[in-house]
Amino acid sequence: MDFLLLLLASGLVSGAAYGLIAMGFALIFKSTGVVNFAQGELVMLTAYISFTLYSTFDLSFFPLMLVTIPISMAIGLALERLFIRPMLGEPIFAIVMVTVGLAVVLRGITIMIWGPDPFNFNAGIPTEVVELGGVPFYPAQLYLIGALAVLTAAGWAFLRFSRMGIAMRAVAANETAALLVGISVSRIHAIAWMLSAAIASIAGVLFAANFKLAPDLWFQGLRSFPAVILGGMDSVIGSAVAGLVIGVIENLFQGYVGQGLREISGFIVIVIVLMVRPFGLFGSRDIERV
Amino acid sequence: MLALNNIQILYDRAIEAVRDVSLEVPQGAIVALLGSNGAGKSTILKAISGVLYQEDGEIMSGSILLEGERISGAAPRDIVRRGLLQVPEGRALFSTLTVEENLVMGGFTRSRSETAAGLETVYGLFPRIKERRTQISGYLSGGEQQMVAVGRALMGRPRLLMLDEPSLGLAPQIVETIFEAIVKLNAESAMTVLLVEQNAQLALQTASYGYIIENGRIVLDGPAETLRSNQDVQEFYLGFSGGERRSMRDVKHYKRRKRWLS
Repeated sequence: MDFLLLLLASGLVSGAAYGLIAMGFALIFKSTGVVNFAQGELVMLTAYISFTLYSTFDLSFFPLMLVTIPISMAIGLALERLFIRPMLGEPIFAIVMVTVGLAVVLRGITIMIWGPDPFNFNAGIPTEVVELGGVPFYPAQLYLIGALAVLTAAGWAFLRFSRMGIAMRAVAANETAALLVGISVSRIHAIAWMLSAAIASIAGVLFAANFKLAPDLWFQGLRSFPAVILGGMDSVIGSAVAGLVIGVIENLFQGYVGQGLREISGFIVIVIVLMVRPFGLFGSRDIERV
Repeated sequence: MLALNNIQILYDRAIEAVRDVSLEVPQGAIVALLGSNGAGKSTILKAISGVLYQEDGEIMSGSILLEGERISGAAPRDIVRRGLLQVPEGRALFSTLTVEENLVMGGFTRSRSETAAGLETVYGLFPRIKERRTQISGYLSGGEQQMVAVGRALMGRPRLLMLDEPSLGLAPQIVETIFEAIVKLNAESAMTVLLVEQNAQLALQTASYGYIIENGRIVLDGPAETLRSNQDVQEFYLGFSGGERRSMRDVKHYKRRKRWLS
């Protein structure tokens, strides 16, 4: 029983990281139709920037995020303006390939600046163990789960009630009609990239605080892909929930089936989902997949 | 109010969709643009709204003026801000959004208070969609969707409203509701209307002036009554055949004449 609880708890923690990264994917996919293969690299780059800020100014967690998030949004905006905007009107597949190239470039830049060696980065989060329902947690783990909960709620409210959020869904539903009511589609795309980069930075910092800050952080982007598929590509809230599900499944596989299966299990889920419910748990049915 | 001067439109810089089209919509009028499928009607509306680039279309020559100011080449958002709204063909709702969200988006360029007032007006015109305000618009019937589409455009406070085949595929009763609303708005709040239709009968009853477009060219224009009594229009757009069957020879004759006209 204790073993199961432990597995579930650590599954929720890594699942929360997947969920956050997947939310970033979904946000961009929903409003622009592009699968951003550089999302994992965005997570890595923003985490490293946050690390530099942390080691320079020695901030605690919340002030650190207060600085990190705007910088990340600026990076998201810059990437969109420089690499995605000029591709407007090209086939979606071409834009997706640009993000693949972007991923490699960002990875290279990060290693060039910060080097290949891992850092310990606690992001100003306390390190005393907290016991919750008999299960010990590090505060960083709780921060990660908390961040997912807060961002899911905030994301839902934003898409449901704010004008900008509704406009984002409107653009996703019908781009021409959105233009015809005076929504600037390119501005919505830029906002999607900014918000997605902001979520990426939160995911990156908290992931690094839980594990370590190393140049293989970008790989979490791919690891989150099962969550994106399960959540249904275009459902921001769905990917958050799916992240948790994938995290727990991975841990249960590791605990009960076999060590090596942890990495694979998520992708087994992808295969099953694509066969049974290709639009995911929460996605819209008529989605073209890249 | 709106004037098109010798517009030529190409798709992909190769396919000519519209050639030398000039038309004028005076302030406060209802003007109809008639023509069959593929004549270029929707292309003209897209050009006016500035969304042609989405389909690789381009205005190669000529100009579009709104109250004397050139709007060809302006961003769609700025055209909407100037009060030029369009109800696109086939409704084009935000089908995953609720009815009210669709309407709120229609007022995207307007302030919050204007949006609230607009909702009131639209629900007053179409009480049926008020009942459905929280439903997902994609699940409404065709007629209700068209009401939402018209309502969404009205939310932008149009001074000139362009409607692209609002009667398409709808029951006569619903068409009547929608046209009544349009005529009412035209009479009460001096909203100018450019009506694109295939249903010439309906359009020429509503409008005061009409243009007929074929193969991307304006072939005939005039006051609605004149067009209604024009023999060719009666035969080919209004469906009167004068009681007796015509032979193919006369049809051919008409086609020859048409070619000469354009």
